[in-house]
Amino acid sequence: MPDRPSPYDCFTVADLLVDYADQLLPPQQTERVAAHLAQCPACREEVVQLRAVAQRLEAVEPAAPAPELRTHFLQLLEQEKAALAATAAAPEARVRPMWPQAATRWALRIAAGVALLLTGIGLGQWNRSADSSAAATAPAAGPTRHALQLASSLSGEGAQRLSASDRIQLVSSAAAAVDTTKAADPVVQVLINTLNFDPNANVRLAAAGALYRLRADPRVGEAFTQSLSIQTDPNVQILLIELLVNMRERRATTQLEQLARKPDALPIVRQQAEYGLGTLL
Amino acid sequence: MPVLLSTNPQTSFPVADHYPSDDVLMARVQANDLDQLAVLFDRYHRPIFNYLLRRTNNDRETAEDLTQTVFERLLKYRTSYQPSQQFRAWIYQLARNAHADHWQRQQQLRTTDVLDSEQRGQLGASAFAAQDAAEHSQHLYEALALLPDAQRDILVLNRIQGFSYEEIGEQLACSAGAARVKAHRALQALRAIFFAS
Repeated sequence: MPDRPSPYDCFTVADLLVDYADQLLPPQQTERVAAHLAQCPACREEVVQLRAVAQRLEAVEPAAPAPELRTHFLQLLEQEKAALAATAAAPEARVRPMWPQAATRWALRIAAGVALLLTGIGLGQWNRSADSSAAATAPAAGPTRHALQLASSLSGEGAQRLSASDRIQLVSSAAAAVDTTKAADPVVQVLINTLNFDPNANVRLAAAGALYRLRADPRVGEAFTQSLSIQTDPNVQILLIELLVNMRERRATTQLEQLARKPDALPIVRQQAEYGLGTLL
Repeated sequence: MPVLLSTNPQTSFPVADHYPSDDVLMARVQANDLDQLAVLFDRYHRPIFNYLLRRTNNDRETAEDLTQTVFERLLKYRTSYQPSQQFRAWIYQLARNAHADHWQRQQQLRTTDVLDSEQRGQLGASAFAAQDAAEHSQHLYEALALLPDAQRDILVLNRIQGFSYEEIGEQLACSAGAARVKAHRALQALRAIFFAS
């Protein structure tokens, strides 16, 4: 037997080296490769390198996407649901010609176009004069006024007038407009109320995502902690746990313990609460 | 952690079938019970994001945009889903297509091949500049970036996301044996780049 294996010997085991490195070969082939490796430093080195690179790949930690991804998706979903509901509610369309003559149709189109143009010009002039008078008389819009407008849109009758999709949109844009350099922006409290009391779970999820962006405000961690004990929708519960864990909010441990033991919570929610506890403690 | 839930679309309260399969949920989505898509989103948005993150050389912003695109397309083309096909294979195919579209757009933006090769040269040089253990994961990503796209795809699926050869075969429309051979070649290619002197 030669001291060093020939290139042909290496060729015969080359296809087996990855499975050997992964310890997936049957015993007979394992012995055959091991016998070759005992004589071949190059193939031995290759196995060491294969194991090293495979271990590094398998050690890659999963990353968490930004919570905005969920908010955008929920908004899209609500828009599609609204479009679907509108289609279902609309009576079946039937085309019934009113003026059979093509010439009449063209005349009507031209007339409608001219009317639209004139209306546009008129509205533009009216808007300019209205803007200038408003600028002269109205007080500057401050954060409190903005919060009041937002609150009236997101609660009570205002919320009933707006679709869930519109409310999700409003929640996202409200969070983006908050001045994080100023303390106690009242919009944060409006978003907290939406998180706790909006009837639609997707709007509550969007509010949680929006608040997470404003997590530098100390009220956010407190609000998530309190909200966990009143939310009943499992999606909202799971998101809140996830956000509290991301924020390392240790004040939430009592609520997490209660949720982990809550008999009427879904098993997956209890499991998520236990995971959160394990991470925070 | 994947989230496995089911909610009643009318009330959002949990119902008896706590763990309906992906295919059952997708059938409900096809029947316009769109709330079930939120459950599928919870199950898949993280794995799909991570898949796209590794395919885009850790570009978080692009990976998030592409994940959004995947779910937009899923919603828009929900009727094209065939119940005979596995949902997981289908959604990963949507992700693969979204990534391919993005890659093509990027290629069109490149002015010359010279720029590309210069960038690759820089990546390679930085990948092998130091052997500090703390930098190994960065080197790994840079070595992955130097692989052909198909090999990077199969390594992400097999070694990072933990798909079996059978599951990869379903996604790539080949046999489990062929998936195994491709995965082995890809690992060998990565090893050669990673340990090249």
